[in-house]
Amino acid sequence: MKALEPWVAAPLETFLAESAARLALIMTSSGQVVAQHGFGRSLDVMTAAALGAGIVASTEELARLMGAARFEALVHNGQRQSCLLAGFTTPRGRWIGLVVFGPETSVGLVRLFFDQMVGQLAVAAPREPATAPPLAEHFETELNASLKALFGR
Amino acid sequence: MTEDIRALTARLAEEPGSLAFLELAEALRRRGQLEPAYKVARGGLTRYPSLADAHDLMARVLSDQGDLAGAFEAWTSALQLDPMRTSALKGIAFLYYRAGDAGAAVAHLERALEVEPDDASIRQALVRLGPEARRAHRDAPGTGEAAAAAPPDGPADWGRDPGRGTSRREDTAAAAAAPPPAGPAGPFGAVGAEAGLLLVDTGGMRLGGRLEGDETAAGDRVAAQLAGVSREAARATRLLGLGTWEVIAVESPDGHLALAPATADTVVLAARPTTLPVGRVMLLAERAARAAAEWLERQT
Amino acid sequence: MTATQTALDRVTRVPGVRGALVVAAADGLVVADQLMDGVDGQAAAALAGSLVGRLARTAESAGLRPPAFIQLRGASGSVLAAPGPDDLVLVAVVGPEANLGLARLEMIGAAGRLA
Repeated sequence: MKALEPWVAAPLETFLAESAARLALIMTSSGQVVAQHGFGRSLDVMTAAALGAGIVASTEELARLMGAARFEALVHNGQRQSCLLAGFTTPRGRWIGLVVFGPETSVGLVRLFFDQMVGQLAVAAPREPATAPPLAEHFETELNASLKALFGR
Repeated sequence: MTEDIRALTARLAEEPGSLAFLELAEALRRRGQLEPAYKVARGGLTRYPSLADAHDLMARVLSDQGDLAGAFEAWTSALQLDPMRTSALKGIAFLYYRAGDAGAAVAHLERALEVEPDDASIRQALVRLGPEARRAHRDAPGTGEAAAAAPPDGPADWGRDPGRGTSRREDTAAAAAAPPPAGPAGPFGAVGAEAGLLLVDTGGMRLGGRLEGDETAAGDRVAAQLAGVSREAARATRLLGLGTWEVIAVESPDGHLALAPATADTVVLAARPTTLPVGRVMLLAERAARAAAEWLERQT
Repeated sequence: MTATQTALDRVTRVPGVRGALVVAAADGLVVADQLMDGVDGQAAAALAGSLVGRLARTAESAGLRPPAFIQLRGASGSVLAAPGPDDLVLVAVVGPEANLGLARLEMIGAAGRLA
């Protein structure tokens, strides 16, 4: 497990231990990676972050058009593994969690401990505002810096 | 032949595989018809060798017939199948008392009282045995649960029923003299039964015990499935505000399972046929867990 | 009234029962519930679903057919589960004072009619 923000590490570690999830990615709503577990290649995490952020943005817009509340979570059930994608609010803004899990656990357990992690992140988040909100023109630079930190290369 | 015996006989004739033999043999025994009672009990025991009630019944019949060694063996078998069977504990206590070993009688009655603290008959029996016997029991070496659970041999002066010799239960004398299947050295020594009990660690490794009729294979498979069960149970009770977990009971149409934590890292599984009520299997698991915890402490 | 609602009504009428749920066992998700305040249905469904699955596998390993009833007893109450058809499980969260025997009978009876 690697986290760019150290206060994210403990709640994410607990979530991973309790839910038995295989992969997890925490990112901002713009797709900037905050923490990851289980991804082996930077390309995968980059692609997953971009797609996850895009899907959440699309569904939230769809909900807005339909006059519905935000979708809490999306679950794709697969034969060998499933995927949960959920947006959540933190003191640092809107974040997204992408979780891949297998038949050794259940969507109920993953949701339960994901919700607990969200609560723990809200408590653990530093009170001071984020130093610099991600800007579009810095996105690529920040993404590369994030990937370097997350994968150590 | 009275009406109830006639009705029970008819029922057993219609359904030879039913448990009607228990009532019939007991009714015959109460009327002093001991030989027919023995035959009915023996037939039932042949069909249901793992039914504690059948062994208990056989013990009562044999005791009435004066075959005290046979009765002791039958009650010991009942206790191996159901270590908290107070009728068997009381029966063995009675046999020890008759043989003049009041200390051993007290040990068994005290264990019976532990299982059923509201049973007035046990209290009365202890009172009848008197304070000296209880003191003798406390002062005697080897007293305690292990001694009460599975006596290594029967009272010394039991004679065989001269009319029967050893034909009824040929191995009775040998069985009575043999050490119990699970000595105090095993994790469940204090419970008096190793079969149908498993001690498993958090990694799903079997530390002791075995399933009935199986030496390793099924026991190891079951143990593997139990990896992490203690953690999962603890998590469930904690998150649902139910405190620490104490026991899990599983009722299948084929048998009952009960799980209880022995230590933070180990769990005990008790497996019994459905003839033993699930509540009793839960008590057995908890008792076995306490015994296993003590055993584990002695190992370190 | 649906079979599910009937089942929940029967179980929650038993003294000491704090809540009852019908759970999709494999997913650990709530299908229907009747819960008192303070009972976390999401947690009960997820945790009971997982435990039922594990204990069913344990029973199978021991050569037994799937469980008809499961009880997890804690110091301050119990979780009861009665598997029914279609991978549904009737779950109840009960206090330490509950009539467990009655709850068990009601749950086994009701679980068989879930669909």
